[in-house]
Amino acid sequence: MSITMQRLHLTHPLHFVIGLTLWCIWFVAVYGGHAIACSVAPPAPEQGVFTLVNAMLLVVSIAAIALLAVLTVGCCRMARRHEGRLRFNATVSAGLYLFSTLSVVFAAMPIIGIPPCL
Amino acid sequence: MTTINREATPEGDNIAGPNQLHSDLHDIWGNPRGLKALTIVNHTTLGLRFMVTGMAFFLLGGLLAMLVRTQLALPDQDFMSPDIYSQVTTMHGTVMMFLFAIPMLEGLAIYMIPKMIGARDLVCPRLTSLGYWCYLFGGIILSFSLILEMAPNSGWFMYTPLSGSEYSPGLGSDFWLLGITFVEISALSAGVELVVSILRTRTQGMALHKMPLFAWYILAMALMIVVGFPPLILGSILLELERAVGMPFFEVTGGGDPILWQHLFWLFGHPEVYIIFLPAAGIVSTLIPVFAGRPIVGYGWVVFAITVTGFISFGLWVHHMFTVGIPQLAQAFFSAASMLVAVPTAIQVFVWLATLWLGKPKMKLPMLWIMGFLIIFVCGGLTGVMLALVPFNWQVHDTHFVVAHMHYVLVGGMFFPLIAGLYYWLPLFSGRMPSETLGKWGFWLTFLGFNGTFLIMHWTGLLGMPRRVYSYETGMGWDIFNLLSSMSSFIMSAGIAMVLLDFALHFRFGKPAKHNPWNADTLEWANSMPPSAYNFVSLPKIDTRHPLWDDPDLPRTMAEGQHSLAVATHGRREMWGTDPLTGKVREIIHLPGNSWWPLFAAMALAVVCLSLLTRLYPLAGIAVVVAGLFLLRWSWENGAHPKAAPDAEVAPGDPPLHSRTMDGPGLWAMSITLLANGSFFLSYLFGWFYLWTVSPEWRMPETSPLSLVGLILAGVALTAGVGILEKLVRGLRQGKDAGLAVGMYCISALGFVQVAITLWVLLSADLAVTETSHDAIIMVGLAYALLHGGLGAVLTLLQGLRVGYGYVGAHAPFEPAVVAQWWRYNLVTFWILVGALAVLPRVIGS
Repeated sequence: MSITMQRLHLTHPLHFVIGLTLWCIWFVAVYGGHAIACSVAPPAPEQGVFTLVNAMLLVVSIAAIALLAVLTVGCCRMARRHEGRLRFNATVSAGLYLFSTLSVVFAAMPIIGIPPCL
Repeated sequence: MTTINREATPEGDNIAGPNQLHSDLHDIWGNPRGLKALTIVNHTTLGLRFMVTGMAFFLLGGLLAMLVRTQLALPDQDFMSPDIYSQVTTMHGTVMMFLFAIPMLEGLAIYMIPKMIGARDLVCPRLTSLGYWCYLFGGIILSFSLILEMAPNSGWFMYTPLSGSEYSPGLGSDFWLLGITFVEISALSAGVELVVSILRTRTQGMALHKMPLFAWYILAMALMIVVGFPPLILGSILLELERAVGMPFFEVTGGGDPILWQHLFWLFGHPEVYIIFLPAAGIVSTLIPVFAGRPIVGYGWVVFAITVTGFISFGLWVHHMFTVGIPQLAQAFFSAASMLVAVPTAIQVFVWLATLWLGKPKMKLPMLWIMGFLIIFVCGGLTGVMLALVPFNWQVHDTHFVVAHMHYVLVGGMFFPLIAGLYYWLPLFSGRMPSETLGKWGFWLTFLGFNGTFLIMHWTGLLGMPRRVYSYETGMGWDIFNLLSSMSSFIMSAGIAMVLLDFALHFRFGKPAKHNPWNADTLEWANSMPPSAYNFVSLPKIDTRHPLWDDPDLPRTMAEGQHSLAVATHGRREMWGTDPLTGKVREIIHLPGNSWWPLFAAMALAVVCLSLLTRLYPLAGIAVVVAGLFLLRWSWENGAHPKAAPDAEVAPGDPPLHSRTMDGPGLWAMSITLLANGSFFLSYLFGWFYLWTVSPEWRMPETSPLSLVGLILAGVALTAGVGILEKLVRGLRQGKDAGLAVGMYCISALGFVQVAITLWVLLSADLAVTETSHDAIIMVGLAYALLHGGLGAVLTLLQGLRVGYGYVGAHAPFEPAVVAQWWRYNLVTFWILVGALAVLPRVIGS
């Protein structure tokens, strides 16, 4: 248990990969969920972007953005508290969380502009 | 194990002088000659073999490229028939990607990584050897198809249905599928051991943030291989099963879907581009600081960029499929992700430029190639961003514009840095310097020839010239461009020939190099030139990113044995096992010596490959069993075995041997192997759910053909086995081994019970595997479970025997922990299979 907690600490290099792993999970969830929704229950084209599919994809994206943003702030704070190796780890992790957050924002933008199943 | 008949003092002090130490270490690590040279497992020798073989395949791929350009030089040419042209273009792409680019960079990493991180070898030397033989045999088998005029001709991406048995009835596709899968064993072997070596064998004090950037790049590349190759392996197995047996995974009428192949291929294929680019960028990040004479600007930024590239590159694969008809919103996701990957690449370019700007660059020969790389790769990157835009992508899809972009990225992004790296490390390989004159001629001819060939292709592409078409009519406006392109390609060939001539001649005529001729900062230059088989007489403690700049005397003190592990009297091949984060020493890793088993196993696998190719299935089955026996015999010579480390004695104050701990590198190697296995399994699940959801003719029966009771009983046996194994491993952690052998036999028996029940479920299901993809994919899933269950049972049986021989126990507790990982993985995947194949269809229905 203590080893697990140690690894979850924001100065652990495991955080180099957690943010981008979350990005990947979000990406697969949105792409896969969208494909299944369009296959099982495609909304009428005249609904435009105001569909349940777009709404669900947007909710999932906002949740991912919020989680990643919190982790970004956490790593930034932790970087200021440490020196040397731990500071390096937290700084790089903060950058990677920030990039992951912005990546979700950027890749999710089409959800508010493109109908889902055309 | 070699015996040295000289004693160390009881205090562990080294009583031998430097020369005696060299001699002792050479006795232990040195390479045999003659026929026994085939048993060599040393990373320096095998790295060189990889690179030399890679260059041979590069010449073959280059020759094929020249044939293509000759055919396209003029309109209406009949230099080659359409079928031969298709074979030549397919094999050009295949050879360059699978037999040159990846093995060449792996070879460089295999050669360089231990030297850069202050180790004496890679952590699984026999795996390096197996990887090399699989690469060589697979490459030869695949290339042989050209001589037989039976080469694959469906393009290097092997799209179905073109590559299926209906449109490609010959053996061409089989050569590709079986040969490439064979070669991929090599890539995965190298991937696993490079990851573990970088994480666990860095010299004392080399914490993660002090690691050379090249090691970061190779770490990312190796992890990407581990995760990225299995989808293609799965795709190849499914397609070969479709071709050989008729299981309709990609045939619409049988409930399959040809687009599934594209997904599986590009799930591998796009990360592949970055698997090739990252090590090349690692060369650039290594060379630029050396020639600028200052540390790289933004080490942390580069680590950031490497990590981002490694992940984002897995989210781009659909941009190769923008024209297959997926919804616009999905295309927009992948378009955005494709643009995102430009960010980390741009960060690296700015870091390199800033380092050059703030340093005092010396324009030596390697730097010429780096400058060429910067120019060409930035252009290729920009056209990549253009291709990420869906409307533009539609416009130039399947035209020569894409061919031009691809070559700007791959040749600019891989070949130019590779040649820069080879020129840079040439003095290390041989102790001699290359010719500046020949090298400069080679560079300029290659650079001008390359741009003349491929810059022009952007225009022919924009004018509408399609790729993969063997000829074109005059009057389309493409004639002069193609002629110029073809002429330039021959200029480029002349340049490359000059470079290769320089490489060859320098071994004899090159000026002797002084030590560390470029004034580099990394540890590989602390080696002798050329390096010894053991790399370093003693292993230093490192507390800086630039060990040779901060302590120029380090090579001398290392060679004099003034640092750690300068003892050879035990006769073992030893190096440090260190903490992956801090670089603190944890244990002494003892490595196996030269061995025939990797060669024998690879030969048996080659027989499997050839017999599948010729449809001699009984022979293939026998060869599989033989290969398995060779591999198990190989695994027998580990731990406390007389040929490994029967005597666990270490010098006072030194940590224990890894086989006497519970956290040796084998545990890490198993974890990384299971990561690859997990990627394969997830790809399989993707295939199952993809066909279920998307395939237009998918047919699922009203009731599942699988016995749920049977599967649950099998799962209970498996779960019980894991429970007992966990208890035994916990006991070993506490130093208790009572009942270990009996426990292992019980677990093995439970494993065989699981296999027997699963087999019964499979046979009683009466699957029509050649009629519906539903039944075919269930068959593959259960075969996966059977293979894993069977192997788990055999491994625990062997553990029981090893306890009896005294190779495993409280004194050597390591191996059961490794086997337990396999069982845990088996447990998780089995229950997921039960849920996906037997429970979900009952819950959701068809």
